[in-house]
This record gives sequence, structure tokens and C-alpha cells, in this order.
Amino acid sequence: MSFIRLLLFGFLALSVVYLSISVYSRSVRREKLEKAWAKDNPGRTDMAARDAFVAEGIAAYNASFRPKLIGLVYIVPTVVVIAIVYITNAN
Amino acid sequence: MHRIKVTFRVLVFIIAGLFLHYVLPQHDIVKITSTEIIRTDFSSYNRIFYAQADSGAVEQPTRDLRLINTDKKKTWLLGFIPRDSTEVMVYRNEDTGWIWPPYFKFDSSDLQAEAASAARGESWAVVTHYGWRVRWASIYPNAVAVRLVDGPDVRIIPWFNIFFFGFLIVGIVFLRAMWRQFRERTVDPLMDSAEHRFDEASAGISEKKGRVSRWLGTWRAKK
Repeated sequence: MSFIRLLLFGFLALSVVYLSISVYSRSVRREKLEKAWAKDNPGRTDMAARDAFVAEGIAAYNASFRPKLIGLVYIVPTVVVIAIVYITNAN
Repeated sequence: MHRIKVTFRVLVFIIAGLFLHYVLPQHDIVKITSTEIIRTDFSSYNRIFYAQADSGAVEQPTRDLRLINTDKKKTWLLGFIPRDSTEVMVYRNEDTGWIWPPYFKFDSSDLQAEAASAARGESWAVVTHYGWRVRWASIYPNAVAVRLVDGPDVRIIPWFNIFFFGFLIVGIVFLRAMWRQFRERTVDPLMDSAEHRFDEASAGISEKKGRVSRWLGTWRAKK
């Protein structure tokens, strides 16, 4: 019973971490894209082109491997817990 | 205000420090003298300093508690500076199971057997434990592992704590970066637009006020 509770609350906690890191990572990427646009097109006020450039960059980011690495948030703690269980109880 | 802030921060720091001191593993160099089992009736204030019944068993208001009696080498400064004198120390030996703190210890019986075996000889042992010994509240630290060593002058490197604090610092820095990004990208623009709207509204109000006072002025005596 307590094992199921651990699974449930662990999953919830890690999901919060996963979502916040996803949002953070995307936000950093968006900022980078906006800065790159401002550097390459100084003084240009065509907001539609800028938005298209940023949207394209975000789509490329979503399709890349990097956001999938955030899934390690689930894998690493699980491996750590298994390791602790083994180390604590091995004779 | 500043003093309240400082007091609050110091308080948070002390509570976090005490919490970590209770929960993180520590190593004692001991000579195990005996093992025993006592029946324990928990009170409402010392209950949280005990774990629960063995992980396969059911919880009852009263149960047996495994204890490990030792002669422990005294230390200064959280065990970093060894001393020559010894003192008695009693550890409890309970399953933490799948529950807090996350040691995932299920082998209390095996540990008790190891301790009993060590008690028969004269050899020194390193006991890994967490928790405190509080005599007036009958609270014992929980032993997690026993390892026999050659002598009392063994060098102990707290690997887990090193990694833990490293990870803690990385986590705090990361959390700060996330919070800053959130403020810069989400909160500040919202505040800016709210401020802008507030400015517009207050400009509108002063304009209206101007109209009213102008109208009032028509009733005043002309100078």
C-alpha cells in the first residue's frame, strides 16, 4: 500500500518538475530566437516576420532530441531509488 | 522590517539545517556490545521520531523495537574531528520501508543479526545511521548499516552527503534561474501592461476631475 502511495506521489512530484523544466527550456529557447532575430535584423519592425521566425525555431526545437532529454527527470530518480534499495538491503 | 527579514531567514536556515541533520546519514565508529528488543508504547510527541511497523507487517499502537547497544567514539563537529574518549550510544533498528525518510530499508532483521554477530567479538564497526538520541523523549537514531572495520582510526568519506549537497546547490541555482526566467518573460510583461492600463485609467480620472472642477469653478466668485 505504501509502495503504491510512493509511486503515486513520486509520479505527481516528478510531473511537476517535468512540466516546469519543459516550460523553462522552451522559454529560454524562445528568448534566444528573439535575440538572434534582433541581432540579424536591426531596426526592422516587421512583427509578423519575427513571429514566423520564432515559431519556426520553436517547431524545430520541439521536433529535436533536446526536449526528449527532459524525460530523464522520470528515469534518473527511478534508477536512484532502485540503487538505494539494493545498496541498503544487500548484505 | 530589515530585522524581521533577517530573523526570518536565519530561522528558515536553522530549521532546514536541523531537518537535514536529522535525515541525512551519519557514520559512527562503535564497538557493538549487545542487541536487545524492548516493547515500546509510543506517545504523541515521540511517535514521529519512530518509523512504522516492519514493512510487511501491520501497524499497532504497541510493538517490539530492536535496539543496538554500543560504545561509541566521541567526535567534535559532526564527526569530522575524532576524540579519544568513548560514550554509550543506543540505536534503534527499524524498517523505513517505502516511507519517509527514503532509505528504503527492509532488512532490519538481517541488520540485527549482523549487529549480534559483531557484538560477540571485540572488533570495531562503522554504524551508518540517521536521527538523534534524545534521552528525555526516549528517541533513538535509526541504524541503517553496520560494517566491520579493522580499527577505530578508520577514515570515513561521506560520499552520499557530498553528492547530496552538490545536487542541492545545483538544484537551487537551477530553480533560481527558472524563477528569474519566469519573472522576466511572464510576470514583468504582465505588470508592464497592467501599469500601462493603470496610467491610462488615472489619466482618464484626472481629466474627468478636471472637467468637474472646471464646472465647479463656474460657480465660484470671479476674481
